[in-house]
Amino acid sequence: MKSIQEFEQFFNTSLKTDLSNLDLRRKRIVKRFLIMLFLIFIPLVAVSLLLQFYMQINNIALIGCIVAVVVAILIYFLWVRDKLFYNDFKSQVINRIVYFISPELQYNAKDSVNVSEFVTSRLFMHSVDRFKGDDLVFGKIEKTAFRFSEIKAEYKTTTVDSKGNRKTQWHTLFKGLFFIADFNKEFTGSTVVLPNELGKGLTFLKKLMSIDRREKLVQLEDVNFTKEFNVYGDDQIQSRYILSTSLMERILQYRIKSKNHIYLSFVDSKMYLGIAYSKDLFEPSYLKSMVNFDLVKTYFEDMILAVSIVEDLNLNLRIWTKE
Amino acid sequence: MLPFLIIVGVIVIWFIIIYNGLISKRNEADKAFASIDTMAKKRYDLIPNLVATVQQYMQHERQTLTDITEMRAKATSGNLSDEEKIALDGKISKAVSGIMVAVENYPDLKASTNFMQLQGSLNEVEEQLSAARRFYNAAVTSYNNAIQMVPSNMVASMFNFQTKKLFEITEQERQNVDVKSLFKS
Repeated sequence: MKSIQEFEQFFNTSLKTDLSNLDLRRKRIVKRFLIMLFLIFIPLVAVSLLLQFYMQINNIALIGCIVAVVVAILIYFLWVRDKLFYNDFKSQVINRIVYFISPELQYNAKDSVNVSEFVTSRLFMHSVDRFKGDDLVFGKIEKTAFRFSEIKAEYKTTTVDSKGNRKTQWHTLFKGLFFIADFNKEFTGSTVVLPNELGKGLTFLKKLMSIDRREKLVQLEDVNFTKEFNVYGDDQIQSRYILSTSLMERILQYRIKSKNHIYLSFVDSKMYLGIAYSKDLFEPSYLKSMVNFDLVKTYFEDMILAVSIVEDLNLNLRIWTKE
Repeated sequence: MLPFLIIVGVIVIWFIIIYNGLISKRNEADKAFASIDTMAKKRYDLIPNLVATVQQYMQHERQTLTDITEMRAKATSGNLSDEEKIALDGKISKAVSGIMVAVENYPDLKASTNFMQLQGSLNEVEEQLSAARRFYNAAVTSYNNAIQMVPSNMVASMFNFQTKKLFEITEQERQNVDVKSLFKS
């Protein structure tokens, strides 16, 4: 796997020129935005104030609406123009980082893991009402085929208050990188590994938490592993067949390395792994310079964290009947 | 009178819950032991195949091959106690992994597709056996805990529930994956 030193070299020799060009365009975009803001927004506020004081039109809601519409048009206009910049950023920076990590990998900025795969993973039993994603990376490392992308899955709740007003709220089910790979052992059924937020013990509560799923709590013998994760499986032996002592060790190491909560599941010979992130991944920066190694390094690190799952969890080890 | 009846009722219900809990834990442990048996049988089915494949190559390990065939015959004969089964299972594991290590000296054998397929199946069965043993240990631990902990130990002693022995995870099994990775093709 490529090291950070190798990446720094790649950054200096190859990425930097393209980044400088992109950065010039970024500055132009920001400048244009400020100018338009100045030309449209400030006169608009002035006109509103005039209307209010001299012509005695005292309808704040109306004025607010006008302002909002104009700002929306402005942002949309800029956004359409920025699409070009955005697409070039994806193809000139992110795509090339993917290629740098491994020429075997392919990248599609607009595609993502799909919602049915997310549901099949059985990681979250709640229904999904809104699902979006981008930055799909797919390919094969040695014997293991995999794909991952950034995703955001949400569900909504609607409440009606005493006056009969309906209020819809969106809740995030999962946001971050979602990785799917072909697992190295053949099996049917499902085993789910979720972050343990209750600590040691409290078996009753942990059992209660699986009340909405067919999988039952699996109590594994690795103390460090059970401190970090709760495991639910629909077949006690199968779950232990999948989670061998060495795989548990590797998952723990990976959890430490990723620094974020990880969610794993094993369903019908496939492995699903979600790394939770609060930030958006692989997005250009508008306010800071892009010719900045620390910024580009985060793209590389987030990307390689997902690609390294294959090696870190030893998915290429095929010594069982599955080839 | 009524309070007395309520107290008796509560005690009876509590007693039934604990008793049923113990029974279900014991059944779980028995079920786990049966699954070890099933997996072990799968391995016994592979042994004649293994012996047939390796014997034309292996000249120096004749004795080991004869031993393993005998052990298999004994294991599949059927009239063994649980303890004997556990002991024999350990011996067979050791013999099989001994053969696997010896294969290193026979490059032709190691490269034959027949052997490689067999090795995959054996690794798989070993891994499943190991999973079944781990499940058995988890089930037995939970059962033994219930027998020894207050208050369920009172019910357990009344009905003479006996603690069960855990499977010893052998040194060789702990290193299972390391040993196997030697054969990584």
